[in-house]
Amino acid sequence: MKRYTCSGCSLLCDDIIIRSDGLFIDEVIGVCLKGKERFDQVTSKNRITSPMMRKDSVLKKISWEEAIKAVVKMINDSSNPLLYGFSNSSCGAQSKGIELARTIDGFIDSNASICQGKVLGIANDFGINLTTITEIINKTDLIILWGANPAETIPRLLNKTLFSRGKFRMTGREIKTLVIIDPVKTASFNVMGVRDIALQIEPGKDIELIQALKEECCKADSIPSEGVAGIDQEDLKRILLHIMGTENGVIILGQGILKSDKENLLIQEILEFIQIINSRQEKGRMSLIMMGGHYNMAGFDHVALSLTGQIGGLQFKGHNVINGNNSIVTKIYNDDFDYSIIVGTDPIAHFPYTLSSKLAKKPIILVDNQMTATAELADLIIPTAITGIECEGLAFRLDQVPIHLEKVINPPSNLPSDEKLLEQIINKLNERGT
Amino acid sequence: MELILNTVRKIDYDQTKEFTFGDIESLEEHLAIAFLSPKNIKALNIKKNTHIKISNKAGSIIVKGIEDENIPEGTVLLPVSIWANQITQVEETEIYYKNIKVNVEVTDKPITKYNDIISKIKGD
Repeated sequence: MKRYTCSGCSLLCDDIIIRSDGLFIDEVIGVCLKGKERFDQVTSKNRITSPMMRKDSVLKKISWEEAIKAVVKMINDSSNPLLYGFSNSSCGAQSKGIELARTIDGFIDSNASICQGKVLGIANDFGINLTTITEIINKTDLIILWGANPAETIPRLLNKTLFSRGKFRMTGREIKTLVIIDPVKTASFNVMGVRDIALQIEPGKDIELIQALKEECCKADSIPSEGVAGIDQEDLKRILLHIMGTENGVIILGQGILKSDKENLLIQEILEFIQIINSRQEKGRMSLIMMGGHYNMAGFDHVALSLTGQIGGLQFKGHNVINGNNSIVTKIYNDDFDYSIIVGTDPIAHFPYTLSSKLAKKPIILVDNQMTATAELADLIIPTAITGIECEGLAFRLDQVPIHLEKVINPPSNLPSDEKLLEQIINKLNERGT
Repeated sequence: MELILNTVRKIDYDQTKEFTFGDIESLEEHLAIAFLSPKNIKALNIKKNTHIKISNKAGSIIVKGIEDENIPEGTVLLPVSIWANQITQVEETEIYYKNIKVNVEVTDKPITKYNDIISKIKGD
């Protein structure tokens, strides 16, 4: 029995007990449903364990030598590559992905740029108060879930933050107030107690709410008697009382905010609101956590920043990063690519038809370990080991803390890690002087 | 009926899980679905297993309509999936996954098949 970290989601729970002989996993203790699925992937029936190439519209198994040769040929035959994904890869693989993009003068972006990465981009101009899971466990007395449903997306987040007892607070759940702001009564509402506040906001009215709360912070009694965004005046006053009285509060932003419309303005308003609270608070402070889903969604921007000084989409030209003002959305929307290398994600299923249909029209090289909608259309599929189970690596937890993931067992068919595979491709390209 | 579409992640209707462990049948069963409020269900006269067509300027899909008392009136909720992404939108530089205006109507046609979506994306 040994303790491992789970790579089932971005919480990276480091208290998972595994019984294994290094060849097979006999028992996994302490994982949630998402963690269990992650470990079950090892033997899933849709696992890909051999490279495949599309020939006459049908995917056929090929050798590793053929696969690497085909990748190099596709790269050499094209001039405008698009690399995307990497939020289900280790930081080492993300680093190699950026190195590959630099080598072939491509554009590289991660899933974070259409999710939590936006917050960091906006924070460049407005500043940001982040916190860690450890600080929430030990100090927090107010947790606000805004457009976030951790009960169904990061299942153990509330166990760790809401129901925990911290070192610096002698009491736990009983002194922690939970506020949920969401248009839908999600599964997370089921953990609410009598002192908690449930705010079922009208869909798409988050910005009206945040602006009203900001206004009220600056000018007392500015909330209209009829309430705002479907939330009545009394509830708004209650939440403000909690926010202004908290000793250590956290707003956890979920997909409802990170993927809503008017998102940049909304996120900007939330960052400003937190700054107003902290400038007026005498004894406490309010912080933020972004709830990305993939286990290393937070990692790409850290790696990109350390390697290039920039976050988000990186365009290389002459083997240097240039200011292109492009994102994965604009690159695909404007057909500004001639093939794609997709790593550990499924954009054919995850992007709107407008983008997925454009992506599908150009050759796709997919690096993944499971069949997906993208695999259905890919020209070349190269499988890799599952990080955190079949290979080690570094990942950034959702609170931006780096965590090391260990290898538990050997991968089937000696599959390489994403990092090793990308390194192999770079070496082949360098051998040929590309 | 005009409603607001929101896409959400739901643990029991998880696309990645179906791709990993299921097959096309289970994918269609768990993801070609939409949740509506009891009032909207009644107004649309949706019975058990009734199919609904959800459309907007981006496209249209046919999925199974399911009543959910936790959904606010005026909202149709779809699990994040390849079905939902046939009607999510791209405008300027942004992807819109939430708060999208859609038209919802009852239909007797079968649900949109996964393979048909793949063929459409492929341009067949």
